[in-house]
Order: sequence, then C-alpha cells, then structure tokens
Amino acid sequence: MANLKRALAGINRINLEGLRWRVFDCKGQVLGRLASQISVVLQGKDKPTYAPYRDDGDMCIVINAKDICVTGKKLTDKVYRWHTGYVGHLKERTLKDQMAKDPTEVIRKAVFRMLPKNKLQDDRDRKLRIFGGSEHPFTDRPLEGFVMPPRKVREMRPRVRRAMIRAQKKAEQSDAIKQAIKDKKN
Amino acid sequence: MTRVKRGYIARKRRKQILAFVSGSRGAHSKLFRTANQRKARALVSVHRDRGKRKRDLRRLWITRINAAARANGVSYNRFIQYLYKRQLLPNRKTLAQIAVLDSNCFSTILKTLSYDEINR
Repeated sequence: MANLKRALAGINRINLEGLRWRVFDCKGQVLGRLASQISVVLQGKDKPTYAPYRDDGDMCIVINAKDICVTGKKLTDKVYRWHTGYVGHLKERTLKDQMAKDPTEVIRKAVFRMLPKNKLQDDRDRKLRIFGGSEHPFTDRPLEGFVMPPRKVREMRPRVRRAMIRAQKKAEQSDAIKQAIKDKKN
Repeated sequence: MTRVKRGYIARKRRKQILAFVSGSRGAHSKLFRTANQRKARALVSVHRDRGKRKRDLRRLWITRINAAARANGVSYNRFIQYLYKRQLLPNRKTLAQIAVLDSNCFSTILKTLSYDEINR
C-alpha cells in the first residue's frame, strides 16, 4: 500500500520516546480551527516543559481527512496558488479539486502554514500523519483521542438561514412527491 | 629620533582579541581583522540581550504557565485574574517552576482558586 510507506516515512528520524500519540478526528470539524489546535499540539505548547529551541511536540495522527468542513463558499472559492518559477506559470487549484485529488494535502498545508517559520518547522511537520479515511497503521501504539475545546458557534445570518429553510422545504416536498409516486405504483 | 621597534605589543593586543572570540565559526576565530569585527558585534549583542533576556524568560514562563493551566481547565489570563483578586502575587518564574517540578501542587492551587471563584 503506497499510503503505508508514506505514513511510516521518516519515523526513525524522530526521537519517539516520551511522546504521546494524539488522534484527531476531522469528521465535522472546521478546517482552520482544527488546524490551529493541531499546530499547538505539534509545537508542544500544551506541555509545561515547553522550550522554544527544542521540538517536543506529540505525534499527531489525523483521520477522516476527507470529511473536513469549511464554511461559506470556500469549497469553490478557496484557491491554492503556487508559482513554478517559470515566467507566467502561476498555477491554481481550488479546494474542491484538491479534496478530490488528495484531501490530506489540505490539512497538511493548513497546519504547516500555522507552524512558526523556523528551523523546527520541517521536524514538526514530520510528526504529523494524515489519513483520508479512518484506517491507519499505528494501531499498536498507545493512542489518545484529542478532545476539541468547546466552541461558541455563531448564529446563522438571516439570509443564509432563509436559504437553508427553503432548501429543507424543497427536500421535504420532493420526498413527499417520491413517496406519493411509490404509493401510486403500489 | 632613535629607531623604535614596536616589538610584540601589537601581537599581544591581537592575541587578546582572538582569545575573546575563540569559538566563532571559520575565519572569525582565526583572522584578526574579521575577528575584531566579531568582537564588536558580540559586545553589542551582550549589552542588548541583557535587557532582552528578562523579556524572553518572562515570555517562556508565561507560555509554560498557560500550558499547565489549560491542562487543568483554566486559561492563563483567568488564572492570573484569580490570583490577583486574592492579592496573591507569586511571580511567573515561581509559578512556572512549580508547574514543571510539582504539577500536583500547581493543580491544587488552581483548583482551590477556581473553586472559590465559581462559588463566590
């Protein structure tokens, strides 16, 4: 399995003793909010023995990366851009395409860009293992699930709420029509 | 005037400066002219960082206290607020050391304070 090789890549470069293995479940989580929690754990900032010159973060395993959510119109409007170095070669890819291509890259980029940009950034990135589904090869390690801190979700804006209610009503009507057709057939 | 040879005065001066910057990288610990510049920068850094050290260490203590407090369910700002309300003024250094060395003691402090605050 190609994923297995990538998942285990560079593990012996990390000094694994004394590190915890934390599992983050992406199902239903918002992309940026989850990524900021992951970056805090990766830096080791939740430990009282934190030191900025030394990489003491826990190993982070992220599962169900394809179920990550974003708010607003980011699925179509959020664009990843990079320049290849050749003149005129600015490449773009929307979040939707990236999720179709490789959902783990979305979270990896988000967390990588939230880490402090110093010499430890690559080492910390190496401690992050992301999986699109819920299968991962680290089941024999002592894993701890990460509990996201409680969050106050903002109330829906009136226009969005009306749109949602309309969509719900439409779904109900179409279900009722489908049910009526079924009953007629029977 | 009689002829005066400078002797070894210059060599003594240069040796002193090279001894100061021993441990620098490459030519900065071997060649006098680069080493001289290195010494000037080193002295400037030492002077400036004496003030910076106090700031950096306080930052580190605050980060550590924040981490330890959040592990017990309180954020750093709330923790300091509770302490100040009771007019307890341990400094950040002591608090950080307690958090690292005696985490049970730290949790006890935190829990007592937050319990009193919530139940007031």
